Amino acid sequence: MRVATDIGGTFTDLVYVNEEGEIGVAKSHTTPPNFEKGVIDVIEKSGIDQTAIQTFIHGTTVIINALTERKGVRTGLITTKGFRDVLEIARGNRPDLFNVRYQKPVPFVERYLRQEVEERLNYKGEVLSSLNKERLKEIIQYFKEQEVEAIAVAYLHSYVNPVHEIETVNMVKELWPEVAVTASHEVTKEWREYERTSTTVLNSYVKPIAASYVNRLHNKLIENETDSQNYIMQSNGGTTTFNSAKQTPINMVESGPVAGIYGAAVLGEILDEKNIIAFDIGGTTAKCSLINQGEVKVSTDYFIEKNERSAGYPIKVPVVDIVEIGNGGGSIAWIDGAGSLKVGPQSAGALPGPVAYGQGGTEPTTTDANLITGRLSPENFDYEVDLDKVKAAIKEKVADHFGMSVEDAALGIIRIANSNMLNALKLISVRKGHNPREFSLVAFGGGGSMHAPALAKELGVKKVIVPVASSVFSAWGMLMTDLRHDYIQTYIRRLNQLDPSELNKEWISIETQALKQYQEEGVSEDDVLFTRFADIRYLGQEHTVKVPVPNGEWSEETISEVVERFGDLHEQHYTFKLEGTPTEIVNLHLTAFGKVLKPELKRLTSTSSDAQEAYKETRPAYFENSGWVETKVYYRSLFGKGMKISGPAIEEEPSASTVIYPDQSLTVDEYGNLIIETGVE
Amino acid sequence: MTQIVRSKVDPFTLEIVKDSLVAIGDEMFIALAKTSMSPIIYEVLDYASGLTDAKGQLLTQGNGVTGFIGMLSDMVKQTLKKFGDGKLKEGDIIIINDSYGGGGSHLSDVGLVMPIFFDGEIVAFSANKAHWTEVGGKDPGSFSNDATDIFQEGLQFPSVKLFNEGEINQAIVDIIEANVRFPELSLGDMWAQVAALKTGEKRVKELCEKHGKELFLSSVDYLLDHGEQLARQELSKLPKGTFNAEGFIDDDGFGNGLFKIKVKVTITDDKFVADFRGSHPQVPGPVNCSYTALVSAVRTIFLAITNPSQDANDGVFRPLEVITDMGSVLSAERPAPVSIYWESMLAGADLIWKALAPVVPHRLNAGHLLSVCSVVLSGQHQDTNEPFLIVEPSVGGWGASEGQDGARGQFCIGDGETYNVPVEVAETRYGVMVDEYSLHTDGAGAGQYIGGSGVIRSYKALSDNQMVSVTFGRNKFVPWGMKDGQDGSANEVYIEKADGDVDGPFGIYPRYPLNKGDVVKLVTATGGGYGDPFKRPADQVAQDVKNGYITAAQANESFGVIVNEKTFEVEGLTKDRQRKGQ
Repeated sequence: MRVATDIGGTFTDLVYVNEEGEIGVAKSHTTPPNFEKGVIDVIEKSGIDQTAIQTFIHGTTVIINALTERKGVRTGLITTKGFRDVLEIARGNRPDLFNVRYQKPVPFVERYLRQEVEERLNYKGEVLSSLNKERLKEIIQYFKEQEVEAIAVAYLHSYVNPVHEIETVNMVKELWPEVAVTASHEVTKEWREYERTSTTVLNSYVKPIAASYVNRLHNKLIENETDSQNYIMQSNGGTTTFNSAKQTPINMVESGPVAGIYGAAVLGEILDEKNIIAFDIGGTTAKCSLINQGEVKVSTDYFIEKNERSAGYPIKVPVVDIVEIGNGGGSIAWIDGAGSLKVGPQSAGALPGPVAYGQGGTEPTTTDANLITGRLSPENFDYEVDLDKVKAAIKEKVADHFGMSVEDAALGIIRIANSNMLNALKLISVRKGHNPREFSLVAFGGGGSMHAPALAKELGVKKVIVPVASSVFSAWGMLMTDLRHDYIQTYIRRLNQLDPSELNKEWISIETQALKQYQEEGVSEDDVLFTRFADIRYLGQEHTVKVPVPNGEWSEETISEVVERFGDLHEQHYTFKLEGTPTEIVNLHLTAFGKVLKPELKRLTSTSSDAQEAYKETRPAYFENSGWVETKVYYRSLFGKGMKISGPAIEEEPSASTVIYPDQSLTVDEYGNLIIETGVE
Repeated sequence: MTQIVRSKVDPFTLEIVKDSLVAIGDEMFIALAKTSMSPIIYEVLDYASGLTDAKGQLLTQGNGVTGFIGMLSDMVKQTLKKFGDGKLKEGDIIIINDSYGGGGSHLSDVGLVMPIFFDGEIVAFSANKAHWTEVGGKDPGSFSNDATDIFQEGLQFPSVKLFNEGEINQAIVDIIEANVRFPELSLGDMWAQVAALKTGEKRVKELCEKHGKELFLSSVDYLLDHGEQLARQELSKLPKGTFNAEGFIDDDGFGNGLFKIKVKVTITDDKFVADFRGSHPQVPGPVNCSYTALVSAVRTIFLAITNPSQDANDGVFRPLEVITDMGSVLSAERPAPVSIYWESMLAGADLIWKALAPVVPHRLNAGHLLSVCSVVLSGQHQDTNEPFLIVEPSVGGWGASEGQDGARGQFCIGDGETYNVPVEVAETRYGVMVDEYSLHTDGAGAGQYIGGSGVIRSYKALSDNQMVSVTFGRNKFVPWGMKDGQDGSANEVYIEKADGDVDGPFGIYPRYPLNKGDVVKLVTATGGGYGDPFKRPADQVAQDVKNGYITAAQANESFGVIVNEKTFEVEGLTKDRQRKGQ
């Protein structure tokens, strides 16, 4: 049996799939600060035989929580002499342009714990001055006195040659074996010293936290006689072993959210849909990501706490490209200073939550608007809903302001929320040169299926897929993951001067490193699958385009092929290419998958295609152009293969609903996924 | 009573179209950075792009720096002036870098303007303006700190058609190619700008198609009125009255100076008037700025005071008025040199800042480095022998304010979402090695809240015959402290020769020759302090010493706190501090 557990803000989800391909789910409360307790709770609640778990996959928010709540350990930093302030100067930028009182993000290491040592390499990686080991000993001693618990080491140009970082780590381990230590080349081999230093510091900062968490969880599993292969979900959309997760925990920073994106790609593969827009609406945010030709896009342009107002902290590890906006079911509708309606980014959260929850919420939210327009019914809530109270909130906070009816105001809230989400969806699709008509939208999370059919139509997407268990889809995605490691090496070379044999050596050296890591993790070479990319740009540009490039040995022809492919991608993204302009590789990027056996999905047994059998009720719902419409409502649990429903209609399942518009239709596929034709030609 | 913008059209549709316009601005902005060839564009983000309405009123602008806020509209208005009466055709693109009218800053900032047609009528303009690494002129990098007239500063594009109905005017491209030092950079950036304009055009047309022209135009009015309302509300919260400040511009690059400048700010219920009359006449060196540049600076500080978080459009600036004499250092006229215009332009902003900081302390802080502290370093790479050119601003210290220490190592008000060049990138690309990039902890700017430190960045030349030009303003007049906080320190540059000689400090210096092993040491200012230093808690002063932001001697002298230099413990308060009872 494969079991996935995913820790979320409020709930810890579990999804399992047994040998017959049967899927089961369970939910229990998240239990901070001892998150492993929630995991064990949900396993117990699911009633599965714990000794039968063969593969255990885990997504966790422990790392991101430790970072954002500043609950990591006291960290010391060692840098090249002259550069300890790089962490504080950062890039000097001020995203909040017109705010002269802008506050820079506070460094995770205070200045007195940032120490410098003589050592220097040039940009080619040649040693100009050797490492001053006497000074290093003093620093280690000083860190002991200052009760440091983790050390980060980041020297200039170590991405080309890590020799001094390695010497330093060895000395730290020799003189002070107990302390956690991370050298920059262990977490990223890309240039840009601030970003690499920041990544290293953050890894060190959470390393002891991660180790103790993973150990506690592991012990709990052993106590319960679970003798499983254990994996942790990483931000790159693949998993890694418990052991390697303890070494570079920073790779788990987006552990949970990316699983849903990856799941959408897997589902697409099963349904023979290579082009997918994955769309996830939760309580406070909406997230989306574009999957082109089955490929989940991964980049190292990741930050925490970065937004329009703050520069945030860069983390240069591979993370699935996700655009996230502050628009979820709990997002609050409000009127700005000049009388415009806005939705989000403030959220009513889980507590007090929307007005409909009756838990003290007074601000109208998207969920309240969905209730008033009949998209949700009071029965969909765990709480006793006071409809009058919800109406009063929308009337007072929105409708009266515009002198309109409560339902028009509610519809306005939904339209503004949709507009925000549509901008995010456009950002990843049309604005990157993709035609939405060539994509299908996979909608999940508590609110995904409610908004997706309308949004897809607006965006120009023909088909929406609402998967089975859409509200716990992230955990489902984890069940389907392979092991994955990404190796990114900065390698600045002009393509017209490139020697294929030198490059082939570099690829082989990276692949050897990958095979070695998998060997240590007990994965055989036959199960390792490589995919190569190169980050390429026109000479003189800064930003690169990630180009899929061939495996195997390169020749001169391969190089011209790659240049051509780059030009096409550049044109697709940015509308033009520069024929004849020299091109340059910046990074080589190898993705190494460790393939694992996955169960086949189970097909629906019921084949009744009579929609009437799933009919629940008819109730009025309010639509943009048609006003109140008597709308049929169906139970998803009673859907059979091939069942067809024409809009307007509403489909209900535990913790999610799907709204089909008047000119749209829904078909149930053989696995129980809902396939919605959006009406786009 | 708050006046609310109302319209006959469905308010939500207007809102959605308005948001789409802002999103288009963002998209155009990102497109340019991603494809640019020049670090000054993709790292410094020294460019702006956006949309105006058919009359040239700014609708949305993506900014990397504050300095361009307001210039796009002037470019479009200049274009309309020249090509009104139906001379603009679909597919035309106009190129313009007029420094005095037409969105003028300096010649390096090259603007492109494209009319967007729908149903045979202009519904909007797509426009952008970007700092080209090279536009020719007497010095590499084009902007020169010792030019004496505009003709030395590079190619002038007096609002001419680069594209005629979609056809490129190859003659202009050839002229550019023949006149600039790095044509592949300049032309590469030009193509990036053209692509961004077309993106804007495409998206606006999509909006018109989807919602209809009438609704699009209503949304444009709605957007502008919405901006105006927000600005007026903030204006109503400001203290009313007249506020004065005076200051000096250090130097014009020829050792002339000090130049006195002054402002009288009058705030009424519905107007914000900045009157700079009485400031020094335009000067021989290139430190002059034109009126449009000054207006951009005033707009910047106006936004900082009224509402730093809003999206800016021309509606926001309707209450704003800027008055100058003709031909002053803040409103220079042809053919005055303007290469390093930002020094006077920012000095203008700083005056308003200084005049209003005491009365708007929740929005404004003490004085900061103010100068862009620009560096132009050219030479040949020691390994490839290829020519290289560094053109970059420097980070420095910002002022403290109520409840908050000043920011350390941050670009000045004229910059913004500007990124320093990583040491590893600089050492790969350029023929230099960086000896040091650290905080300049000189202990200036003492206060209850302390001014932020500037930085030290040292470039060592790795080949002979390199040349560096530096323009570090605020070299004589340091950042001002506030409410008994102390002043900060100066921006300055030293040359440390390979043989051990040290030259400097300099503020402005054109073309200093560097040979292998010579080091140019760039030191930026610490910002002004806020409040009496004796009010800074003793423990915090001790921590400042431990962190090396100040010395134990400074703790004693400026803050009245005796700190043990080894243990960093507080050993007591000085008699002075005790006497003051803090």
